[in-house]
Amino acid sequence: MKRFRLNLAPYLLILPSFIYLAVFFAWPMVRSLQLAFVRDSPILPVLSEPEDKADVVGHLEMQVDVAVVDRVKRDEVLPNGRTRPVYWFKIASETEDGDLVEGWVHQKNLFIKSRTESDTARVVSGEGAKEWTLDYVKRMVNDYRFREALQTTLLLIVLILPIQFVLAIIMALVLQSQLRGNSLFLYIYAIPLGISDLAAGLVWVTIFTQRGYLNTFLQQLGLIDQPYIFLSAQNRHWMIVAIVLAEVWRATSIVMVIVVSGLQAIPREYLEAGELFGASLWQRLRHITLPLLKPSLQVALILRTILAFQVFAVVVAITGGRVLTVLAYETYRWYDPGDSGFNNPNMAAAYAGFIMLISLAFAVFYLRTVRTQEEAARE
Amino acid sequence: MTTRALDPVQRRAIRRRQLNRAGVYALAILIALWILLPIWLIGTMAFSTRSDVYGFPKQMAPIPFTTDTMQFFINQPGILDGTRNSIVVAVLTLALSTLIAAPAGYAISRYVFVGRDAFRLSILAVRAFPIVILAVPLAVTFIEWGMFDKVYSVALMHTALTLPTTILVVSSVFASVPREFEEAAKVFGCNAYQAFMRVVLPLVLPGIAASAIFTFVMSWNEVFAATLLTIRNRTLPALILYQLNKSSLQFQYAGGFFMLVPSLIFIFFIRRYLFNMWGQITK
Amino acid sequence: MAEIRVENAVKTFGKVVAVDHVSLAVREHEFVVLLGPSGCGKTTLLRAIAGLGLVDSGRIMIGDRDVTYLPPKDRNISMVFQSYAIFPHMRVFDNIAFGLKMKRVPKDEIRRRVQSAAELLHIENFLERYPSQMSGGQRQRVAVARAIAVHAEVLLMDEPLSNLDALLRLEMRAELKRLLAELKATTVYVTHDQIEALSMGDRIAVMREGRILQFDSPTTVYDMPADRFVAGFIGTPPMNFLEGQVRQQDGAVRIYIGDYALKPIPEMAGMLARYDGQPIVAGIRAENMEALSQPAEDALKVTVLVVEPLGSQNLLTIRIGADIIKVATHPDFRAAPDQDIWIRFPSDKIRWIDRDSGKTLLPDLDELMA
Repeated sequence: MKRFRLNLAPYLLILPSFIYLAVFFAWPMVRSLQLAFVRDSPILPVLSEPEDKADVVGHLEMQVDVAVVDRVKRDEVLPNGRTRPVYWFKIASETEDGDLVEGWVHQKNLFIKSRTESDTARVVSGEGAKEWTLDYVKRMVNDYRFREALQTTLLLIVLILPIQFVLAIIMALVLQSQLRGNSLFLYIYAIPLGISDLAAGLVWVTIFTQRGYLNTFLQQLGLIDQPYIFLSAQNRHWMIVAIVLAEVWRATSIVMVIVVSGLQAIPREYLEAGELFGASLWQRLRHITLPLLKPSLQVALILRTILAFQVFAVVVAITGGRVLTVLAYETYRWYDPGDSGFNNPNMAAAYAGFIMLISLAFAVFYLRTVRTQEEAARE
Repeated sequence: MTTRALDPVQRRAIRRRQLNRAGVYALAILIALWILLPIWLIGTMAFSTRSDVYGFPKQMAPIPFTTDTMQFFINQPGILDGTRNSIVVAVLTLALSTLIAAPAGYAISRYVFVGRDAFRLSILAVRAFPIVILAVPLAVTFIEWGMFDKVYSVALMHTALTLPTTILVVSSVFASVPREFEEAAKVFGCNAYQAFMRVVLPLVLPGIAASAIFTFVMSWNEVFAATLLTIRNRTLPALILYQLNKSSLQFQYAGGFFMLVPSLIFIFFIRRYLFNMWGQITK
Repeated sequence: MAEIRVENAVKTFGKVVAVDHVSLAVREHEFVVLLGPSGCGKTTLLRAIAGLGLVDSGRIMIGDRDVTYLPPKDRNISMVFQSYAIFPHMRVFDNIAFGLKMKRVPKDEIRRRVQSAAELLHIENFLERYPSQMSGGQRQRVAVARAIAVHAEVLLMDEPLSNLDALLRLEMRAELKRLLAELKATTVYVTHDQIEALSMGDRIAVMREGRILQFDSPTTVYDMPADRFVAGFIGTPPMNFLEGQVRQQDGAVRIYIGDYALKPIPEMAGMLARYDGQPIVAGIRAENMEALSQPAEDALKVTVLVVEPLGSQNLLTIRIGADIIKVATHPDFRAAPDQDIWIRFPSDKIRWIDRDSGKTLLPDLDELMA
């Protein structure tokens, strides 16, 4: 029998990263679900008798106006042994679902002008109950900017990714053809890897802005007399064009690097065999290079799609976030406590969760459809 | 080259080959221009006078050359602090990320242990996670823990983002050093620690340095999480993003250029390692 | 019409001259082996013929066409690659059919030719499989089938057997030889394995440092190596070299190895006479010496260093002066280390090599005619 001896060393070595990811990754994930699906704002239990231990007959939300039907005065014993007078109120109100609730609540939970005379009050406190809710999700889906954000994000993906992949494959093939000055080209092609989305957005603002370079070129070519205002609310399609160009400019390098890595793994003899047996450049690309590149392209596609769902700073830089909106910007807007935001982490978490879900769906979709023929044949 | 006469078929073949070659060069240069030209243009703006920044039509080079626009940007309130915050965050991220990732990367590349594949796979999955969904709950959690609006909490967040990549890269760097080297060192009298320090470390140092630089760049560039996690102690990108809507063109151009300069330098140093770094990850 | 002529081909990589003014003529239907150690330029030469790497200067003709600058597809050639280069994402059928599809051969014709190529290589039952589902030997067969399916006039093979294990290599060697004899394609075959070269080729071109040292039939290359390198490269064990001194006495030429005198064949005497008083190298193959356990008149007494019984023969390592040589004996020949034995050198089996140039001396034809 084989004796199994557990070597602790590798576990000790991965422990720090494991703990770190648990605290700063797994926990926030759980917290994110909580934020999106759990309401922890307090609710007020309405009791059958004016006593703390009485049965609960219903619940009321905060800030609900109620009618005061009856009241009793009781003495309450304080911790130091003294007593003080407190009121219990019999109230009546409609719950959120439209049911009528009538019962007793303690004075501390109500805002009431006069304990003895007022016949209306407002619910101001209750118990910190946590409950599952789809309210945030519903509110997100019904928000008029949600549809727009989703549409714009998807449109950008549909426009950006094909251009990006074609360009990345061309760049990779150019780098693979062993030109003189190859390492200089490699450096230049890799520069955008280190450029932030915000900086890239600003770079393209210099081109597309009213007194920018695009208008300068167009005027010099004699195509326009006046500078054309590309980035305006009336020209959403030009904003889309600018965002697409900025994203293609910035984020193609990462695809290129993955494709080059994939190309390097293809033995040169495959292409030589193709050439020898009469395949033209295009046929070699079509029948040999691309099929063998499929796994790399798949990885790049998943990565780029997930990143594309998070497109944010480029959009803010080019549109200011007001004319066009994307999912990540909505997340930011709902969270942001500043002047443009709503300071609502629950809604922000709902958006974040949606981005996560849709990214995941796309990843699974790619993995299922873009599989190699070989794999398909083996089943 | 011999000067003998070639038949037309041959000549056509040669011309075609030369044309192809020239075509590839033209393409290579065209793509290079596509990447470099926008950088040149924003650079031109960043070093032009105020009147040129607002002028039309635009000039193709910063003449007259001036640092006024850059100075204007740097002297804006908060920019220097933001830059300092960004550097502190990036350095903290780099240090944390490398320190935590190095042992894990070593374990993945050197040991066969139960759960290794699971760990590797989950790292891969984590790597692909959207930043956006992590930033919101982390910000809320940091508020609860009293860590909101702190420079180090941004670094903690960035470490969570970069850690998976760093682990994978470091493990591929370690994997490129044959196990036999370590074994040979042990056979010739080193203990495990000495074998690591004298043989493995010198060989992996350049690769790990490259990965650390990449981590720095990722942190330097990150804007979404930094924006959510800070209010007064903003990093540079967060600050620029926040002021974008109320800022001048000078501020935007100089700020954009200022942010992209580090990438020009850092990518130069790590360009050779890019494919090693990504080649492994795509497997 | 598919002879191959390489004329004065030069190919350099940076400062390294991989092919150095090589000329080579391969006759129609001939099987020529390019043989040499790694880095000798044999693969570069093959790739130049294939069109996968252009020569810097010189000319390559296939049939009566100058193909020097033509791309591979216009050369009417086919090739088996060292790593096979069987496309992993295509079934065996599509792999074999690849060249035909690229040439837009009609579908049923493709099917027929793939079938017959597969049958020739006994892989007709694997056509629906992917390469990853096959063994190394089967993949090799696919590579050959793909190469012959296109019916090219010229077949190029780049170390096709080097990735097989020893037993399989032996089997494929014979099978390839049969197949190629059947196909009658003009074949250029690159290998570093001299046994492969000797057993398969009609002629062998032995290469070193970008040059062809000898281009002859296997028997000639083995028996009459053109120089010391070829002699040392071909044969297991390689040819033995003994350094001697030429002395002319009473009109007779003798070569002295220490006190022992070798007598050359008459045809060589005149040539050797020119080396009077100078050193010369005698080359002789292990199996061409006669080992005796008793003293004999014309035999040299030597001491055995090592005895290696190889089954079909015993291989003795012995020292003569400063030279170590190997002698093959009958397996029944008894010998042990430190034992004295006697060796006889048949004159007609000795090759004489110029010590400085390394070239094998050939009988002076003028003298013979006279």
